[in-house]
Amino acid sequence: MNTFISAFTFDSLVWDWIIAVYLFLTGMSAGMVLISIHLKRKVIEGKASANGIIKATAILAPLGIMSGLTILIFHLTKPLAFWKILVYFNPTSVMSMGVILFQVYMVILFTWIAVMFKEELATLLQKLFKDRLAFVNPIVDKIAKFENALELFLALLAAMLAAYTGFLLSALKSYPMLNNPVLPVLFIFSSVSSGAAACLMLGVVGFKESFHSKSVKWIHSIERPVVVFELFVLLTFFTGLIFGGGQKEAAAMAAIGGDFWASWFWYGVVGTGMLMPLALNFFVPAQSRHNKVFVLLVTSLSLAGVLMLRTFILYAGQMTVV
Amino acid sequence: MACSRRNLLIGAGAVIFTTGVSTVAIAKKSLVATQEDGDKRYGMVFDETACIGCTACTDACRETNNVPEGVSRLKIERSAPMGEYPDVDYTFSRISCQHCDNAPCVTVCPTGASYVDLKTGIVDVHGDKCVGCGYCLAACPYQVRFFHPETKSADKCNFCRDTNLKAGKLPACVESCPTNALTFGDLNDPTSEINKVIASNAVYRSKVELGTEPKLYKVADTKGEIKR
Repeated sequence: MNTFISAFTFDSLVWDWIIAVYLFLTGMSAGMVLISIHLKRKVIEGKASANGIIKATAILAPLGIMSGLTILIFHLTKPLAFWKILVYFNPTSVMSMGVILFQVYMVILFTWIAVMFKEELATLLQKLFKDRLAFVNPIVDKIAKFENALELFLALLAAMLAAYTGFLLSALKSYPMLNNPVLPVLFIFSSVSSGAAACLMLGVVGFKESFHSKSVKWIHSIERPVVVFELFVLLTFFTGLIFGGGQKEAAAMAAIGGDFWASWFWYGVVGTGMLMPLALNFFVPAQSRHNKVFVLLVTSLSLAGVLMLRTFILYAGQMTVV
Repeated sequence: MACSRRNLLIGAGAVIFTTGVSTVAIAKKSLVATQEDGDKRYGMVFDETACIGCTACTDACRETNNVPEGVSRLKIERSAPMGEYPDVDYTFSRISCQHCDNAPCVTVCPTGASYVDLKTGIVDVHGDKCVGCGYCLAACPYQVRFFHPETKSADKCNFCRDTNLKAGKLPACVESCPTNALTFGDLNDPTSEINKVIASNAVYRSKVELGTEPKLYKVADTKGEIKR
């Protein structure tokens, strides 16, 4: 118990698990959007809004980013002053640039969802507000003409957002493990990995998208390469630190060769979050894989693994000061 | 030969000796004048060979700047004991803001609350602009920033900018040091006391390889390894 407490509370720790949850939710939102945009453009035949995966993204992507930002606001020492971060800018601050990115991303995300679900939106508005919000519909119709450009722009924003969470930490020169150029790349892969898991979880289990649909099959086809690439990026991350020597090497060894956080990394992040889902998908026969309990199990493992990865990077990263 | 009891007696004597000495009045004029001129680069020298670890500076800082218990703008860190009893010795290091010319806390701050005052070179915080995200606390390689428990803003040493310095006095730590281990002044002025101390001693600065250009110079102790 003592090691548990000391693993979560040490002098050089500034950002705690709330930030890890926020990084996770943001990455998941960006990953879901990236996957869904590809599905809509290249895979889905017919109406995208009828697809379970797209429905899952329409709900979880905005919910993830909004809840992430909400917990972030309450994590400030002055939550009521949060609006100042929207008013004042500092072009040299990664966080300040991220705040601008967030605002644009959320606007474009909501617009994209409104365009895709414009008929459902019209029905909903009619039901809730009668004719009072009817003016929204022609506006959505007008924007729908630019759907292609909107989609490409949103994909770019989502990729930037996934990378941003990495840049946010890699800007910290004070912690040699975080001040690492591989971090944004690692976070893009883990974002897509958590996005795929979240898409399948809510899409298949919640919205009953068929196991045999093209969109589910496509997500399955990228799952394995994404995790393998993620493992490779993790490898380069730590070899880079170890070959860097000095405090970088000390940071790497404290993270993956030490006590609590090393176990967390090897058993939790790599074992439970990456190798177990890979093994389950590989060894379990196809017909057994096609049930909801199996999907729920594998996607839960992947999501837990990504959350554990973000927590690990954050805590282990702050243990060693340059 | 170094002897802790001897060091203590020298220190105690020095405290008594310097109490009430009117160096303040002399410093007053020169400091007010330099601040009005603008474009100063205030820095500090911490002489490790002179520091006896009495922490008079820490107490003076706390009192002058109303720093609450539990947090501190200035710490004196004592090394592990060196040598065998009774010949035990220590080295002391100063943990406080280094007033970097290229300050990481300023670069990362999303609202511009953390800034370098161009008139004095002092790194300071606009309390009302700070939202308390903690990015500057994490970015500082010297780990000297903290959240003020009452204002909830990021806080740290600002060379007594709005207390002693404003009143035309030297920073509280410098004023209170019984052994004159601290020298404060304008690095841009070639005739200043601080430049004389830097020119006549072997000095070093912490973590210069990060390119932060800190303005806290240290005269290395003759004993033990330099902890950069």
